[in-house]
Amino acid sequence: MDYAVETIDLTKVFSDWWGRNKIYAVDDLNLKVNYNEVYGLLGPNGSGKTTTLKMLLNLLYPTKGKTILLGASSSDPKISARIGYMPEESYLYRYLNARETLNFYGSLFKLPSKIRKMRTESLLDMVGLKAVANRPVGTFSKGMARRIGLAQALINDPELLILDEPTTGLDPMGTRQMKDLVLKLAKRGKTILLCSHLLADVEDICDRISILYDGQIQTEGKVKDLLRQTNKKQITTGNLSDTAIQKIKQLVEKENAECSISSPVEKLETFFIKTVITARKQRKVTSGAVADSENAIADFLVEEQKEELKRAEILDKLVSTDVSTEQKAEPAKAEEAVKMEKTLVADRELLENLTKLPDTSTAQPTHAKQKAEPVETDTISAGEQAKNLLDQLTGEKESQNDEQQKKGNPDKDSEK
Amino acid sequence: MSRIWAVAKNTIRQAVRLKTVAFLVLALLVVLLLMGENASGDGTLKGRLQTFVSYSFSLTSLVLSVFTIGLIVYSLTNDIKQKQIFTVLTKPIRRSQLLLGKLLGVFILDFILLAIFSFTIYAIAELTPRFINTSKQELNRAKNEFFTARMKLTPQKVDVSEKVRKMYQEMKKSGKLQQKFPNMSQEAIIRILTWRQEQWTRAVAPGQELIWEFQNVKPLEDAQSLFLKYKYDVSVNPADLKVTGAWFVGDLRQIQYGAKVQTPVHEFARKELIRTYYEEEVPSNVVADDGYLAVGFLSPPLNITTILFPEDYLQLLYKADTFTANFIRASLLILFRLTLLACLGIFAASFLSFPVALLLCLAVFTTAHLSGFVMEALDPATHDVGLFYSYTIKPLIHLMPQFDKFSPVKFIIPAQLITWKFLAEAFAMLVCIKSFLLIILSLCIFRFREVAKVVT
Repeated sequence: MDYAVETIDLTKVFSDWWGRNKIYAVDDLNLKVNYNEVYGLLGPNGSGKTTTLKMLLNLLYPTKGKTILLGASSSDPKISARIGYMPEESYLYRYLNARETLNFYGSLFKLPSKIRKMRTESLLDMVGLKAVANRPVGTFSKGMARRIGLAQALINDPELLILDEPTTGLDPMGTRQMKDLVLKLAKRGKTILLCSHLLADVEDICDRISILYDGQIQTEGKVKDLLRQTNKKQITTGNLSDTAIQKIKQLVEKENAECSISSPVEKLETFFIKTVITARKQRKVTSGAVADSENAIADFLVEEQKEELKRAEILDKLVSTDVSTEQKAEPAKAEEAVKMEKTLVADRELLENLTKLPDTSTAQPTHAKQKAEPVETDTISAGEQAKNLLDQLTGEKESQNDEQQKKGNPDKDSEK
Repeated sequence: MSRIWAVAKNTIRQAVRLKTVAFLVLALLVVLLLMGENASGDGTLKGRLQTFVSYSFSLTSLVLSVFTIGLIVYSLTNDIKQKQIFTVLTKPIRRSQLLLGKLLGVFILDFILLAIFSFTIYAIAELTPRFINTSKQELNRAKNEFFTARMKLTPQKVDVSEKVRKMYQEMKKSGKLQQKFPNMSQEAIIRILTWRQEQWTRAVAPGQELIWEFQNVKPLEDAQSLFLKYKYDVSVNPADLKVTGAWFVGDLRQIQYGAKVQTPVHEFARKELIRTYYEEEVPSNVVADDGYLAVGFLSPPLNITTILFPEDYLQLLYKADTFTANFIRASLLILFRLTLLACLGIFAASFLSFPVALLLCLAVFTTAHLSGFVMEALDPATHDVGLFYSYTIKPLIHLMPQFDKFSPVKFIIPAQLITWKFLAEAFAMLVCIKSFLLIILSLCIFRFREVAKVVT
């Protein structure tokens, strides 16, 4: 099976000039990152995360083992042309301004001048640095430097994005934007490998994680699987009266289970962002980096997604007309589809009642992400049902599934 | 190539944004102008021009050399230290392209700066005669002996090796070797005999004459004069330290064989100091149509000592090109030197940190100015060391850049022509061989360097 990132028995030993004091920074590491997933590399300081990334990027050479990125070695310029890398600090030329920085890195990819210029402007817009595009990077704050660091990593529209501590130095807004961006890029089919100390960030955006210690993987798996507490259940409801709470407690105690009931607490990050958005609406001017719009993403990074949306629209149109004609041709199947739709609508209503959030505007990207998990894709939109119906009628379902698996499941995006 | 060009542009931008270049240009321009104003030399116009060009060329060369070493070493080591190289090398650029890009950037900067400074020196030199009061004779002398490019011809060395070999064999047969050269090796004896015989080929006893012949003497069409430069030495010093000599310059074949004289023969006789250079202006029409020219010297019987001409005792100089063309070639010699220093800098920076790499480059740069002297001093002194010297120290010394050999000042000051052949030799030695070797070494070292490794 092909992996976007693969290490085979990767080992890195550091020793002094005389070859003494051997330290195993990475020890027989076998890392496998699938295409189109967000993979988090966690671990305490000195656990070998950054060393691993540096070996992947050919900045360090393995003592033993080998690394494979996108099916080949990263020393091949053809491979590095498909990779974006943001180091733990934005190591940029202090004397270049933001625009020149992106232009320089773009020219290393041999991007034609027009495209380079277009991407530079889009990325500056995306990271909120357009207003300071002519200021030397050396005068930037840490957060602004991280933003331009991210922009340089995206200048080539990479297939694989390697992020070392992506949210370090960013304010909560920037952190949120970074996480949203990672999710959007993932939706677009990019593979993202990141390492971070900020566990909450990793939890929010990663599909899978591994925890490194002493250069070895201690545990690896899907975030949800690793964190799920199967011996406990959680129910979230709307506001309840004291009587209802007592009844629920009694009901739970009858089952010999412990029960604690409290009002949910909003995340500080969400609260902070709401406050800042409110202030921004009141036109309170601030200095530094300002993104033009929430969740902004450079045009060229979503071009493919737009194409997919267009294709989906065309498909929807075809489906809406074709269903009726197909129904005429095969009335039995059409009746079955209508029955199925009714059942699904009833199920969806039930599910929505059970999982209703107190304030939908504060929904986290995590929730959207979780919905994307295959085990919870019970809710299907009308367009989706129509598409499924078309697939069933045309017998293309299986072949599409195969393709989706290869391309990164664009349907996952619409669900998210 | 576009990636190399991108790195080169970035390197140029780095130098410009660090204000280094602006400061350098301004400071050096001010110094050059002050030197042009204040240079005096021996008080003559020629002396003033020679002093100014000598100092300004040397200063420009020195400043640009240090600038080149500093910039290229800083550019690469700083990229590694500040870790900008992480973001660059993870892009589709080969390490060799990064190094070549930096070299190209520094080369372009050097080219531009050298052009600015050379033009300034040239302009000041050309304008100096217009702004100072001087006699027509002085102007004429400056024109003939400074604002020109003169070909220098010297007598061919006489091969005495066969004669020496025979002498040695005869002495050996007659058993005189031990008597004359006690406890000396064969090599040392031959060296002494060779030196003596060479001296004899340049010796003229009272009443005797010596003739030197030159072929392919081709002065420029507008050249009205040739210059004969000579110096005497003697076996026994006369009381007044002067000797008399009679000189004949022209196609002496006409006289020797009694044919009708086609071209004039220039004659002069003077009593002059020993161990002092003299320059005699000779009309250019003395040269035969086929480019033949002979110089004859007669030591009159009134001289009480044998005249021994030292090495480099006689030079025939004639205008073979313009001052401007020679000046451009002199600037090119500096450019070759800067190219080599840039390659040396990139080599040192490929495996050393900034201060160590800088120190290494400056040490080599200093030694390179003395390499000719070192070779001359060590070669004879270490003859007896044999194989060890030949295969260890000697190649290392010969690998040194030899800047003194290719110094432009040596040519510009005496208005001596820098031939294309000499320029090609300098290019081959400094750029094609030594710079190329340094680049190859740098690429090999940098290819395997772990740039993210923290050196403790």
